[in-house]
Amino acid sequence: MAIIVVGLSIGMLIFLLAAGLTLIFGMLQVINFAHGALYMLGAYLAYSVAMLTGSFWLTLVIVPLMLLVLGLVIERVTLRPIYDADHVYQVLITFGVVLVIDEVVRFFWGLSGRQFSPAAFLVGSIDIFGTEVSRYRVFVIVVGAIVMTALLLGIEKSRIGLTVKACSVNPDMAAALGIRVERVRMMVFAAGAGLAGFAGAIAGPMLPIQLQMGNAILLDCFTVIIIGGLGNIRGAIVAAFVVGMSRAVGQQWAAEWVDVFTYSLLVLVLLLKPEGLFSKKERTA
Amino acid sequence: MSFSISRLARQALLAAGLVGACTAAHAQDTFRIAGLVPLSGAFGILGENMRRGATIAIEERGGEVLGVPIEVVWDDTETSTQVAIQKATKAMARGVDMIFGEASSTTTLAIMKLAEQRKVPHIVTLSADDRITGADKSRYTFRTSNNVAMEVAALLAFAKNQNLEKMYIVMADYSVGRDLAKILETELPKNGIEVVGTEFVPIGTSDYAIILNKALESGADGLSLVVVGADVATSLKQGADVGLGEKMTVMGLMLMDETQGMVVGERGSVGINSTLRYHHTQDSDRNRDFVAAFVEKYGELPNQYAGEAYDGMSWWLDTVDATGVFDKEAWIDAFEGSVRDSSVEGLKVMRACDHQAEQVALFGTAVPDPSGELPIVMEIAESFEAEELFAPCE
Repeated sequence: MAIIVVGLSIGMLIFLLAAGLTLIFGMLQVINFAHGALYMLGAYLAYSVAMLTGSFWLTLVIVPLMLLVLGLVIERVTLRPIYDADHVYQVLITFGVVLVIDEVVRFFWGLSGRQFSPAAFLVGSIDIFGTEVSRYRVFVIVVGAIVMTALLLGIEKSRIGLTVKACSVNPDMAAALGIRVERVRMMVFAAGAGLAGFAGAIAGPMLPIQLQMGNAILLDCFTVIIIGGLGNIRGAIVAAFVVGMSRAVGQQWAAEWVDVFTYSLLVLVLLLKPEGLFSKKERTA
Repeated sequence: MSFSISRLARQALLAAGLVGACTAAHAQDTFRIAGLVPLSGAFGILGENMRRGATIAIEERGGEVLGVPIEVVWDDTETSTQVAIQKATKAMARGVDMIFGEASSTTTLAIMKLAEQRKVPHIVTLSADDRITGADKSRYTFRTSNNVAMEVAALLAFAKNQNLEKMYIVMADYSVGRDLAKILETELPKNGIEVVGTEFVPIGTSDYAIILNKALESGADGLSLVVVGADVATSLKQGADVGLGEKMTVMGLMLMDETQGMVVGERGSVGINSTLRYHHTQDSDRNRDFVAAFVEKYGELPNQYAGEAYDGMSWWLDTVDATGVFDKEAWIDAFEGSVRDSSVEGLKVMRACDHQAEQVALFGTAVPDPSGELPIVMEIAESFEAEELFAPCE
């Protein structure tokens, strides 16, 4: 049972981060290398908000909003001028954002890591079928499920989702129909940054808050969005669970082979279905 | 225009001679240090702390040695042996006077070979692999910090003194870790402690829940948790949720100190036992000055990586200065057998036979900070004298 709970919690955390990444790629066709840095910044901000307010719950509200605003600024200043440029410029500019965020974190929080605790009732463990499982992990699963449902409904069933998809599939046509594509793009990037901040705040009580904490998990996120199909939220959900469960099961039976399992899966997908397992075929005519 | 091969060769020789003369003269004008440390990747935070500690050692002497300014170039090895070798090669081509670093033992072993070929002194303040001052020892490499053997000896003695019966081993999956696990699996039973399981975990693992559950369910009363880099905080933080420290005696190498406690928090840190290579509370004038300078410059307490780096760099530079000559071989001769009674870690002696610093080993236990300023403070639980840890030089 512990394997399932741990696997689900790993998957949910990866999903929370990968969702923003895949949303940005799906809409803007930008591979955002700064996503891991935004996640790290979210965790540090969550620490500071928790220290200032003494409330874990407030961190989950304030931090995503702060990152959302930062996302608006980053999109406006760095990405908007180069949407039409080669992808390499977008990669370079998002990598530049990583360096800036790293230095900001160094300046304000120093090199020492930080930590904060969740709400009191989320501390400790509960007994599930004879195995002690962290309460916080169960909380992560519940929160992840709520975000997942909201995202799916928002993208697939709402007018906003329809607008975003229209801007993604045919921005010129969307613009001709009166949609302000630039504004939609900005909001999508900001939403992705907000999700990264939310993931950082959620991860704070579970993982060490320290510089470069985004690097390792970002690798998992790229694995998830490649397996699931670039820009595909449903694919990201399934792939996040596959990666999460493979890590949990791998650790139970052969911990030293976990990375080999995960990345072999990635290589297999790239060889057999490079567009991702859940990508939809594009209409060409 | 006539062309003469011999004339061209003469001009080339003259040019080479001038370049050589300029380089030699330049070497007398500055003391050049290549700081090869990981500033990014899994060991990035270790390297940054090493840089900070060494920087204080340079600044406290006014940035000079042998009457010339110290010019230090910090190169990020990116937690990659290949990158480190490339950068070490470039640094030596620049004609540096010493190499400082690296963090990873595998990388340090590779740099050692280059340093030996180019006859450049090389100071190691973190890498613990026994081969560095054992099978692969070199005239040009000195380790001012602990080696694996002394840390394991301390850990074994500590485990024995805790009257443990069964031990579970969780080990970082790298070359030193594999060697360490073999030693523990052999030596623990000799001390009456049964090893009930060993788990190798890749460096950079972000989730230790399953592995720690296995340790808890193994029936062991002790856990040797030997992980590195960010994995230390990850494992202990996640262990806190299942009451790891309350259910098992957890011990490891460089597993806990006050700065680590800030990342892990009081709940996950209290009761954790760890070797302490350096501790900021060391009662000496030099250490007080170092801690004050470090806090003033960086706004936080120095951790073990910074303390070890400061100690090694300041010891080496003092030794170089005392020779009064710009001669690498003379510096090495002077460092062999030198005694550092003002070390920030207590008395240290640089063994001439293997270039390993002989020193005491400390084992500390994390307890809540009575002042409430920090999540925890380390209490020295046991101290092991150098004579217990090192075989005499033959």
